[in-house]
Amino acid sequence: MQLKRKRLAAATLSLLGAAVAPGPASALDLELPSEQLSKKWEFDTGMLVYSEAGGRVQAVEPVLKATRLFGQDRALTVKAVVDTLTGASPNGAAPASTPQTFTGPSGQGTYTANPGEAPLDDSFKDTRVALSADYVFPVSANGKFSYGLNGSKEYDFLSAGANARYSHDFNQHNTTLSLGLSYEADQISPVGGAPVPLSLMPPPLPPPPPGPEPEPEPEDGEGGSAETKGVTDLVLGLTQVLDPNSLVQFNYSLSTSSGYHDDPYKVLSVVGADGEPLRYVYEARPDARTKHALFARYKRFVFSSDVFDVSYRFMTDDWGVQSSTVDSLYRWNYNDRSYLEPHLRWYTQTAADFYRAALYDGEEATVDFASADPRLGAFSGYTFGLKYGHEMPSGNSWSARLEYYQQTGEREGVPEQAAAGLEKFKLEPDLSAVMFTVGYRFKW
Amino acid sequence: MVKAARVVSPAIRVEAAPGGLAGRFQAMASPCEVLVDGADGAELARITGIVAAEVWRIEQHWSRYRNDNVVHRINTAGGRPLTVDAETAQFLDYAAKLHEWSGGLFDVTSGVLRRAWKFDGSDRLPSAGQVNALLPLVGWDKVSWSAPRLQMPMGMEIDFGGIGKEYAVDRACALAGHATRHAVLVNCGGDLASSGPRAGGEPWQVGIDAGGIGAAAALVRLAQGGVATSGDAHRFLLKDGVRYPHVLDPRTGWPVTGGPRAITVAAATCTEAGVLSTVALLHGAGAEDFLEDAGADYTLTW
Repeated sequence: MQLKRKRLAAATLSLLGAAVAPGPASALDLELPSEQLSKKWEFDTGMLVYSEAGGRVQAVEPVLKATRLFGQDRALTVKAVVDTLTGASPNGAAPASTPQTFTGPSGQGTYTANPGEAPLDDSFKDTRVALSADYVFPVSANGKFSYGLNGSKEYDFLSAGANARYSHDFNQHNTTLSLGLSYEADQISPVGGAPVPLSLMPPPLPPPPPGPEPEPEPEDGEGGSAETKGVTDLVLGLTQVLDPNSLVQFNYSLSTSSGYHDDPYKVLSVVGADGEPLRYVYEARPDARTKHALFARYKRFVFSSDVFDVSYRFMTDDWGVQSSTVDSLYRWNYNDRSYLEPHLRWYTQTAADFYRAALYDGEEATVDFASADPRLGAFSGYTFGLKYGHEMPSGNSWSARLEYYQQTGEREGVPEQAAAGLEKFKLEPDLSAVMFTVGYRFKW
Repeated sequence: MVKAARVVSPAIRVEAAPGGLAGRFQAMASPCEVLVDGADGAELARITGIVAAEVWRIEQHWSRYRNDNVVHRINTAGGRPLTVDAETAQFLDYAAKLHEWSGGLFDVTSGVLRRAWKFDGSDRLPSAGQVNALLPLVGWDKVSWSAPRLQMPMGMEIDFGGIGKEYAVDRACALAGHATRHAVLVNCGGDLASSGPRAGGEPWQVGIDAGGIGAAAALVRLAQGGVATSGDAHRFLLKDGVRYPHVLDPRTGWPVTGGPRAITVAAATCTEAGVLSTVALLHGAGAEDFLEDAGADYTLTW
């Protein structure tokens, strides 16, 4: 039989050629099954701590992502995120020369802003739980399909969505085209019901007379009228390998949404010529929004082991918001197991057509839409970050990232008649925040 | 928070792996991995590109799922003679030798039996009539082969799936080994080849999943040469307590029962290891005797 084996070896040698088949038989050792190698699950765990300066929003966000591989390019990914938000966020009202007191969203409790300060609603506290599952599988030698479901729940918000994506490789896998489609249905049940847009915010009641505490109204997010919104997203993508060390990627995305877009807890100050508030009205936004975005990325290996990644995104919508984002990172793999990754991001946006720092007396009856939400104002922001990652001999890895965000707002949407009176107040939506993330990745 | 994979192409990724970096891509319905001892990320990306190009080339050349290659021309020749390219001719020469060497167990014409056998884990065995109807279309001895001219009776097909992946792994590993001063290991779904030991003579250590059998993962230490695994993994039929693996005996048209669920063999090349593991599986309960007689390095999963 050994002769027979030699005939097989000789036949194989003539097939592969001497260059391929090494002469002597290999030194080899086969061991018994090893537990370590049968691990099928890969877990990514992480924790994000986000903290805005000045006692504003603080968030703690644990994330758990698990991927189960099923051999040939099939994978199931499930992800769970829990957000705990506390702190205060601007309610949209402009600063004033006297203290301003507002009723909390539930009609219970009040919060007060000092003179000259932007009012912050500190009754804001929420926990969000989000779950998603995605499955990807090959449909041909060059085609891959994935679909997924996602949902999230907050005190006053419920969201459910589904998505599907197909990608196809061409040109010896050097070109990939993809098409993705997703739909999300949201339900918002504002505390105390959704306010009528541009209607007056009820002034806070005087403190109750001493005596027995009244039974508190049950705080039930479901109790108010529920509003809904639907969001459809379409993404077309092209990835092209330029050479073994670099690639480019282009995406076009179209997002359309219709339904309730207001923030039910945001108001605007209605001011007189002196810039001081006369009353407050709830904000009003259009009931539909269409966004177009273009994205381009260039990614390459540099200096034999490092990676440079730069991208640009342009977005424009029918609310008048235009934004640009430049994002870049450099991954310095300074040895086989460790890397440092500096990150720099710049973002700028124009204000929505209906963004108003405040409304002039009587104006609330003449406008269709108005919002003082800082997120719809004009601003620019920088993010600076540094990440460190390390892989342990077991193959598991961990990372830590510290980032700083600084946002500078522009003075926009100031009513002309009150411009002089508002001169003395800071109306720009400034913000700074620190983010710290730790992650651990392991197999099971 | 996730240590991102370094994507150098939509299909080629350089990622962290136990003990360093690994180049990864998908080919021949398997995940493929390339390790280059002591190389940095850019060198690994370059070598992985060479390996992937070769494996993809062979996949395109011999895939039976395409309609633009030589296998398609052969399988649609309808009984007419045709001339094949030099590489295919060499491979058919090898197939002819293996057919003789294995006593007819190794046969590149046995693919048509798939028309009767659907190995989907169910208990749906074909009838004897269905199988017997296909047997006239199976058998290398019915083929007229004189390189580079091939003529098969109408309805017969060839399929290089049984050994094409191992051949691709050997070729790609050799090409990569010539392109770098570092030692290279290529692993496509458990079929692997190494161009040489790692620095300091250290062997490569690779986990073999034995085709998805799960707990029965073996740790292979390989200095140089090839390793291949044959097994029924998820592809089998189960009826009346008998497990029918997906490897069919071309002489009878039926699976060989009573054998190991997976066989991993090491040899001088991945191709040789693949032939040994495949033919051993066709020996059923006699697999171990066959491997012992052949003087093979092997491990079995029952």
